[in-house]
Amino acid sequence: MKKKLPIHHGMARGIEKRLKNTGLFIKRIWSHKQGKIGLTMVGFLVVVAIFAPYIAPFNPYDVAERTTKGLPPSSKHLLGTTINTGQDIFSMLVYGTRVSLIVGVTSGICIAIVGSILGVAAGYIGGLVDSLVMRIVDIMLVIPTLPLVIVLTNVLGRDYWTIILIFVALGWTGLARTIRSLVLVLKNSNYVKAAELAGASRWHIMIRHILPGTSHLLIMSTALSSAGIMVAEAGLSFLGLGDPTAISWGKMLAEAQRGGALLFGAWWWILTPGIGIFLAVFSFMRLGIVMEEIMNPRMQRSSGVYKVFKNLNSAYVEEVFNSMDDYAKIGVTPAFEHGKGEVTHETGLKA
Amino acid sequence: MKNTYVIKRIFYSLFVFVVVITLNFFIPRIGVVDPAERYYPPQGNMSEIEYEIIKQVTRKQYGFDVSTWQQYLNYLHGLSKGDLGKSFRPGSPAVIDLIVERLPWTLVLSVSTLLIGLIIGVMFGVVAATKRGRWQDTLLLNASTIMVAIPGFFIALMLSFYLGFELEVFPAYTDSNMVANFDWSLAAIRTVAYNAALPVLSMAVGSIIGHAQGTRNAVIAVTNEDFILTAKAKGLKQNTIRYKHILRNSMLPIVTSLGMSISGLIGGQVVIEQVFNWNGMGTLFLEANNTNDYPLMMGIMLLLSGFTILAILITDLVYVLLDPRVTVGDKR
Repeated sequence: MKKKLPIHHGMARGIEKRLKNTGLFIKRIWSHKQGKIGLTMVGFLVVVAIFAPYIAPFNPYDVAERTTKGLPPSSKHLLGTTINTGQDIFSMLVYGTRVSLIVGVTSGICIAIVGSILGVAAGYIGGLVDSLVMRIVDIMLVIPTLPLVIVLTNVLGRDYWTIILIFVALGWTGLARTIRSLVLVLKNSNYVKAAELAGASRWHIMIRHILPGTSHLLIMSTALSSAGIMVAEAGLSFLGLGDPTAISWGKMLAEAQRGGALLFGAWWWILTPGIGIFLAVFSFMRLGIVMEEIMNPRMQRSSGVYKVFKNLNSAYVEEVFNSMDDYAKIGVTPAFEHGKGEVTHETGLKA
Repeated sequence: MKNTYVIKRIFYSLFVFVVVITLNFFIPRIGVVDPAERYYPPQGNMSEIEYEIIKQVTRKQYGFDVSTWQQYLNYLHGLSKGDLGKSFRPGSPAVIDLIVERLPWTLVLSVSTLLIGLIIGVMFGVVAATKRGRWQDTLLLNASTIMVAIPGFFIALMLSFYLGFELEVFPAYTDSNMVANFDWSLAAIRTVAYNAALPVLSMAVGSIIGHAQGTRNAVIAVTNEDFILTAKAKGLKQNTIRYKHILRNSMLPIVTSLGMSISGLIGGQVVIEQVFNWNGMGTLFLEANNTNDYPLMMGIMLLLSGFTILAILITDLVYVLLDPRVTVGDKR
């Protein structure tokens, strides 16, 4: 019989172990060149977002702190001021980080949660659940994303929690598909069969055995879909359909275009929000890809449990990229999409 | 086997289309039900009864005087005759007319973007795959890493800033008389091409890199297959292998991707049209959104979804016809 440890002891050990693992994980990201770039940039953005009021010299929300209109960059106004309202662009940029990060990261995390629950359920339980989830995925696939987002913001409202909700409601499908195809492989692996024979409940198997097997995908998808949603949010704000009360990068670009930044050659107004979006999206994507590389069990050939992955090609990585395209469609130029047709052949993961 | 698959596939597409129609009908009704209250707020000196009468008339005009279920049936009935309902605009023009008016202008942009993206992209992709690891490949890799992180509308803004305002090579905003004065003369076509240059260019950049990346991966995947090794072992010429064996087989995934890229193209165009003031469906959609013109919005959505369903269906069927190896399983 197994020796029972006191609960608190076990918990303390668990937490300690987890902290140690997290530390190790960050260390491994840090030892990776691309990871170092991604981690530094993401950390920098988070710091900027949290300490925005201390970093920004002016409060862009405060009408009283508006000054001379259309100033070029100087030591007082690092990036100049806007032509129409006289707001300090550097401060707007700093505050804009908040909207991008909150919308992007919250949606990314929620998508990972919803996508993993539905993907694991569809893949492992199968039957009615599976066909229901997959039919929803199919239907969401054919409705153009940006117009649907616009209709929903029109109907449900535009404050940014609603926008997050809409992004999550539309964004989980790609991830659920990917997770499902991975679960179909895991389901037939020996350790899951062993657990089934040992009498483990479905619930237990899904949470303890299947879900951990998909964690590398989840982590990667969180980072990638955060990035994709930042682009989407910028696009939405650019159309003037974002949260009307918030200052975001997309809205800055829209104001710059309408306020005549192009006409007056105010490059500091139009270039900086774009660079902000690029940096945020780029760093999240780098971080996501590096984390996948580190966590991907295919890299750790020694750990026996994951041998099943050895036969798989990079189909998941591609699929997650493709699911990212769904969001990217909103803000980015219609990107290329890899085959999403009915035919099973392209996934390389047959049931 | 194949025939049953084709029939099944067509019926499945129809099923998806019906669900999309239903969603299209019900989504706007989550928020606003009554066009009367939305469009005719009570005027200052209007009595309760007068206002009530006006509301009744408006409801009747837009078919809102019956139960939701009946409205749904009427909607389906109208759809079967190609009628997408009436717009909430003054004069209540038919939605389908408004769309048909703008559709060609949207297609001009999407089709040229698609062609440019496909032709240049596939060529670039093949070059990158054959020169794997050389500068062409690295260029593609770096370009696609960077491109994914840049929103399309930012590229569009930059292009209109530099090529439009600074260098004045192409118009930064579309000539507003272009649509009205179009008469199929050579000069008019030239004007359209001149005005379309920047929007197409800004969409094509992403399209080229996307198709190039996809082609590169497909070509490399085929190159690694055993039959290529066999062909090499047989002593076939390098070019024969490249064009007859590798390229031909890697065309299939490219065909599949095409179907999906069509829908994405039209959706993503909304923002680009806005940047350049292009009078296409995207602009129409935003106009409809700003005036809460739900019938128009839903009409456009339905059309776009229909396009996508059709495109996916066709590519899937083409795939089955082209590739004898495809296992037609109903398990996806």
